Amino acid sequence: MVKKKIGIPRALLYYYYFPFWLKLFAELGVEVIISDNTARDLLDKGVKKSLSEICVPMKILVAHVLNLDEKNCDYIFLPRFKSIRKGVVLCPKFLGLPDMISHSLPDLKAELIADQIESKNDDISAYVNHKKLAKKLKIKKSEMKAALRKAAKFWWRYRQLLFAGYSIDDFLGVEKIEVLEKLITKFENSKQLPQSKRSELKTAGNEEVVDIALIGYVYNVYDKYINMDIINKLKEMGVRVHTFEMVAQEIIEQELARLRKPMFWEFTNKLYGAARHYFASKNIDGVIHLTAFGCGPDSILGQILEIESKDYEKAFMTLRIDEQTGESHIITRIEAFIDLLRLKKERN
Amino acid sequence: MENLYLGVDIGSVSINIVAIDEQNELVFKLYTRNSGNPIQLVKKGLAKFKQEVEIDQYKVAGVGVTGSGRQLIAYVLGADTIKNEITAHARASTFYHPEAGTIFEIGGQDSKLIIVEDGIAVDFAMNTVCAAGTGSFLDHQAERLGIKIEDFGGMALEAERDVRIAGRCTVFAESDMISKQQYGFTKPEIIKGLSVALVRNYMNNLVRNRVLKGEYIFQGGVAANIGIKAAFEAEIGSEVIVPQYHDVMGAIGIAMLAKRDVKRSGQESNFRGFDLTEEEFATKSFECDDCANNCEVIKVIADGRTIAVTGDRCGKWTASLITDSSITANSSKSETTQTVVKDQAAAEEKLDLYKTDPEAEKQVMQELEELEKDDQTEKEDNILV
Repeated sequence: MVKKKIGIPRALLYYYYFPFWLKLFAELGVEVIISDNTARDLLDKGVKKSLSEICVPMKILVAHVLNLDEKNCDYIFLPRFKSIRKGVVLCPKFLGLPDMISHSLPDLKAELIADQIESKNDDISAYVNHKKLAKKLKIKKSEMKAALRKAAKFWWRYRQLLFAGYSIDDFLGVEKIEVLEKLITKFENSKQLPQSKRSELKTAGNEEVVDIALIGYVYNVYDKYINMDIINKLKEMGVRVHTFEMVAQEIIEQELARLRKPMFWEFTNKLYGAARHYFASKNIDGVIHLTAFGCGPDSILGQILEIESKDYEKAFMTLRIDEQTGESHIITRIEAFIDLLRLKKERN
Repeated sequence: MENLYLGVDIGSVSINIVAIDEQNELVFKLYTRNSGNPIQLVKKGLAKFKQEVEIDQYKVAGVGVTGSGRQLIAYVLGADTIKNEITAHARASTFYHPEAGTIFEIGGQDSKLIIVEDGIAVDFAMNTVCAAGTGSFLDHQAERLGIKIEDFGGMALEAERDVRIAGRCTVFAESDMISKQQYGFTKPEIIKGLSVALVRNYMNNLVRNRVLKGEYIFQGGVAANIGIKAAFEAEIGSEVIVPQYHDVMGAIGIAMLAKRDVKRSGQESNFRGFDLTEEEFATKSFECDDCANNCEVIKVIADGRTIAVTGDRCGKWTASLITDSSITANSSKSETTQTVVKDQAAAEEKLDLYKTDPEAEKQVMQELEELEKDDQTEKEDNILV
């Protein structure tokens, strides 16, 4: 039998689940190809093949699928994320993702593997979520189950580190499973604190360090191309960066319970809970909502956050990203925001 | 000899240069239209400065640059402080009007709202995707109506009737204006309608659900327009103050910030001197094809010598210049240059990590193994911060 190659697009929930998938395919002994980092010509190709009104993360996904197809994958792994919490779904674009891809890109050489993922919580390792995958790759049920268990365990270790204050950014760029395992083990045993928890940070010009919660979906926060590398820009300006995945699920749920009714979309709810937590936290100086232009769920989330930031008297800013390549608008805004926070701190 | 601080604001429509002394008194003020060659205009501005101010009596102790074109001019001048225009505007406003509560700032291509409490900015908003209701739009409409922009605001006050013009989008506003004109409304009425629409748009886009408090300050180039000022006053039902130097507030603010920065650091200014008006500046750009980003890299050349490279996402070209210039840099500056080089090296290391070719992965492997061997926590500290 010829060894099959499976491609994973570096887009959307890749940033949340990549350790799970890498471990899973490593356990199954399947060769994995991950699409290249988002870049200008890669994105340009995707934009040409996408609907013009769709949000930029979806255009990025199309671009990455095309990129994988150029790399001669046999399959493209594109699960349909329906739900990762009972009664709550994901954005409609996620629900229709495989259909959208197969219709926008009819000439795809590779075959899509689109299992439907429906799970009670963030742990997506149930066998039913991977039935099609097992069938396509001709893997026995018992073997698949064992691999899924191992992958879930591995992913949980990564998730724990995120709860402990590591950023997804600290793990990105490592795609060999052995390296990733080592990195995770290293962080687990490290006596040193992650950036978000470190008290002694040096800034250029010895300015005061500020704490900013950067609230946004993983595919907006961690795609360095589309957000102009905002995390490192903030860090360079002397900011301790806090993100939603550092907030424990129980806290998110407590905060969500205060809403008369949670929203329909799981990650929007997660962001809301985390943002609320950061609004109430004394250690956080300001909150930035990073959103893609035209995002439906964020049109609701953004409004609620804007109103609630006033109740908590917390500085709040919305940063909108789209296909533009000029950096100055992002720099102007984050710089002014940080200046404002520093002035506030100096006065107190 | 007294110290002077230069402030330069490179906006999309105007280029402003000011100089303030130790007491923040304005010694020089220049407002020029940006006709598209900022370097040339700044050189001309400095030449004018030399003529008007007896430079032998003063020493330029600090230079600040702000505005959307700040990066390039900062290289040309040798700026000490490069900051965004929001911070600069807030700084100048609160100096002249310590009681300010709300600052409306409308410039050539963007509009801003700054909320101030007890003399410091606590909140701001800036127009996002749309430039409706900024200076450029007014300019364009004035031209279309055949009116000088200076007379535009005054005419609005002559209107006898109110006419509603759509303010959401300049395209709709323009077609609305044309049809209202065809219905027989006069030019002053159209202009008044336009001013009201502009303010309405500003309120919808920037103020939103914020509660505004006085004093109200209105600055930026558009503040010269008394029609817009009147429309703001009608909208909020309170007096709106247009500062004396409303058109150069950004430049004054950045000069003040430059003063603060050089005082704080205690270092000499990096100002390249008035001789730069004699130098020939050129910019060259090329598309770097080392990776898929194809960044447009811009080189700034002064008298045949490259003084700045910018526009590269990875920082490779920028770094190449810093390494070169560190050799020629004088001893007082070498210390700071070295740290920059170090930071750059750290940044590069990080970028390698981000790339996913097997070479880089091998390197990561090795690094990790080394780290495990001798737990050099401090070294790694620099990479992560």
